[in-house]
Amino acid sequence: MKNFSINHRKVQSVDILELNGELDAHTAPQLEDHLKKLIDENQYHIVVNCDDLDYIASAGLGVFMAYIEDIRSLGGDIKLTNMNDKVYNVFDLLGFPALYDILEKEEEAVKQFQQGSNS
Amino acid sequence: MSRKARTYQDSHSRFELKTILETGRTLIESNDLSFILNNLLLITMGKLMVSRGAILQYQPSENSYTVKRKKGSFPLEEGDFCQLQVSGTQKDYSVLQPSDLDTSLKLSDSDNFLLFNLRTSDYHLGFLFLDAKINGNPLNEREIDFVESLCLMSSVAISNSRMFDELKRTNRQLDQKVYELKTLFELSKDFNMMVDRDQIARTFKFAMLGQLLIRKFFFFLDTGEKRQMIGSSGITDKVDREQMDYLFNLDEEIIEVDEELRQQVPFLDRHKIEAVIGLRFQSEKMAVVGVGDRANNEPFTESDYNFISSMGNLALLSIQKTYLLEERIEKERMEEELEIAHSIQRGLLPSPLPSIPNLDLYAETISSRQVGGDFFDIIEVSENRHLLTIGDVTGKGVPAALLMANLQAILRALRPFDISMSEATGYMNDIIHDNTPSDKFITFFWAAFDSSQRIFTYVNAGHNPPILLRSDNDEPISLEEGGLILGAMSTMMPYEENQVALEKGDLLILYTDGATEAMNKEEEEYGEERLLECIRKHRDKHPEALYQQILDDIYEFSDQEQFDDLTLLIFRVN
Repeated sequence: MKNFSINHRKVQSVDILELNGELDAHTAPQLEDHLKKLIDENQYHIVVNCDDLDYIASAGLGVFMAYIEDIRSLGGDIKLTNMNDKVYNVFDLLGFPALYDILEKEEEAVKQFQQGSNS
Repeated sequence: MSRKARTYQDSHSRFELKTILETGRTLIESNDLSFILNNLLLITMGKLMVSRGAILQYQPSENSYTVKRKKGSFPLEEGDFCQLQVSGTQKDYSVLQPSDLDTSLKLSDSDNFLLFNLRTSDYHLGFLFLDAKINGNPLNEREIDFVESLCLMSSVAISNSRMFDELKRTNRQLDQKVYELKTLFELSKDFNMMVDRDQIARTFKFAMLGQLLIRKFFFFLDTGEKRQMIGSSGITDKVDREQMDYLFNLDEEIIEVDEELRQQVPFLDRHKIEAVIGLRFQSEKMAVVGVGDRANNEPFTESDYNFISSMGNLALLSIQKTYLLEERIEKERMEEELEIAHSIQRGLLPSPLPSIPNLDLYAETISSRQVGGDFFDIIEVSENRHLLTIGDVTGKGVPAALLMANLQAILRALRPFDISMSEATGYMNDIIHDNTPSDKFITFFWAAFDSSQRIFTYVNAGHNPPILLRSDNDEPISLEEGGLILGAMSTMMPYEENQVALEKGDLLILYTDGATEAMNKEEEEYGEERLLECIRKHRDKHPEALYQQILDDIYEFSDQEQFDDLTLLIFRVN
């Protein structure tokens, strides 16, 4: 099995998915399962923390594309944070920054969700 | 010139020089077009006290100008088209006066404005428009020189920044291309390791979504048996057969969905599918991929379609491979089962061969495949009574073997009953006839040997007549009495049974047609004559040795080729 794992934790009402290792064709289904589960549980405020993500392939990016519309239509969002330069380059090359909130720090993303839900 | 005037002039030119120097330094360091243009306007307007200025950018493709930047109350807005007619030679002038221009365009109320050419040695980039000074005076010659110098420097900077932007864009395109290739390369590796079709389809889907920024996607596959959707994203319902067939039957490989197609295939309209790409495998259209619009609203390019095709073909090939793999596994499983069937069938034959008082014997069957339709059996009824049987089921392989096992079971089941061979054969025939398709028959010969009396009672149901060679005679006796082949029709007439009294030295050969119908290269049959000749020649040998002689003779004749199952039973009375 490839070196990849997801750690799920909650910060107040926001769900944090910490990605570790390499997200590619083989490991993408794991991320898909996590997102599906959150949608099933009506949890739509999702932060994907990429601090320990070493590598991402197109198939990994595809998972975000597959669920973003569902999540946004339910009033939620996926925000991506803490990317290293190599991973950010891939997101940037494919044009993700125009479509997703990509933030420096997880805390900023959590704050944005909380401000959003308070207002 | 007065001293005072000269001092003023000196300090003024020093000031201008300083400005030019500073501007030069700033411009060299900047690749930012808007900064360069802003800087040019601010410096010239500020220094020369001009309240209106603008940069008019030349659009070579349309031979026209647009307002790129403006300061003060210039009559046009930024981004506006500017109706400026300038002849080819005028594009080489360094400064244009209002009198040089077509008067229909009103750029200023005053007649003292100027257009400074922004150009490099190769290209005309546009104009710097400067109105008259705030006091209405025109610029003097020296001021014009100053602006020209600034324009020259700015032009070089503009051109550099454009090249820089172009380079950045090209670089990014190149990076994207490299990334596309990397994705293709990686996927071909990934697919290679996958044997699960769903996994391949899902990986393909995610790679498409991620790489092209799409949210709607479908992947139809023709499995040979049926056409079905094996992967999708953002699709909430199924497509009907007719619409799917329509997409498979389109000739072009890459189709951008238009109004007509939307009407033909409402499924595409419902899910906002923008393009449909057909994939071929050995010139057959095997799959259709549909993609929705891109999240960044950019149109698909030729290169995108090529990418979809390449990736789709990779996925398709990998899926085809999984089918081939399954076929191979299935074949291996069947071989394994046949191997088991083979050993079961061998187990049905008497082994070791029983010994019968007053009889030397040998028997063997050789199948042309793993399992065969020939059989023989030697069953002890009592110490002095044995059943000797041989049979041949039509056809070869598994069907024949099944029927053969069935006959043997019937035979063994009938053994304990005290009925005549004639009656028993009639029963067997009826059972076989009832239980098998009408094109399946069995030729069957069986005999009961009473070893105390050496009486041989037999029934021949359509089998090649066994050969009896009396000890003192070389002329064979055919054992033919009996009746119809088993399984052809239900028993109407009882089977005849016949008795032969055997004597010491008599030789009996039972065989199947695999022996006599063995063929050589000229397609001649081995035949009964050759068989008989071989038997006569070696008639004094022990049955096992005789068997080996016959087999060698047949194989020599057929050049070691075996087409049919072959069985021989040899008995000699001692």
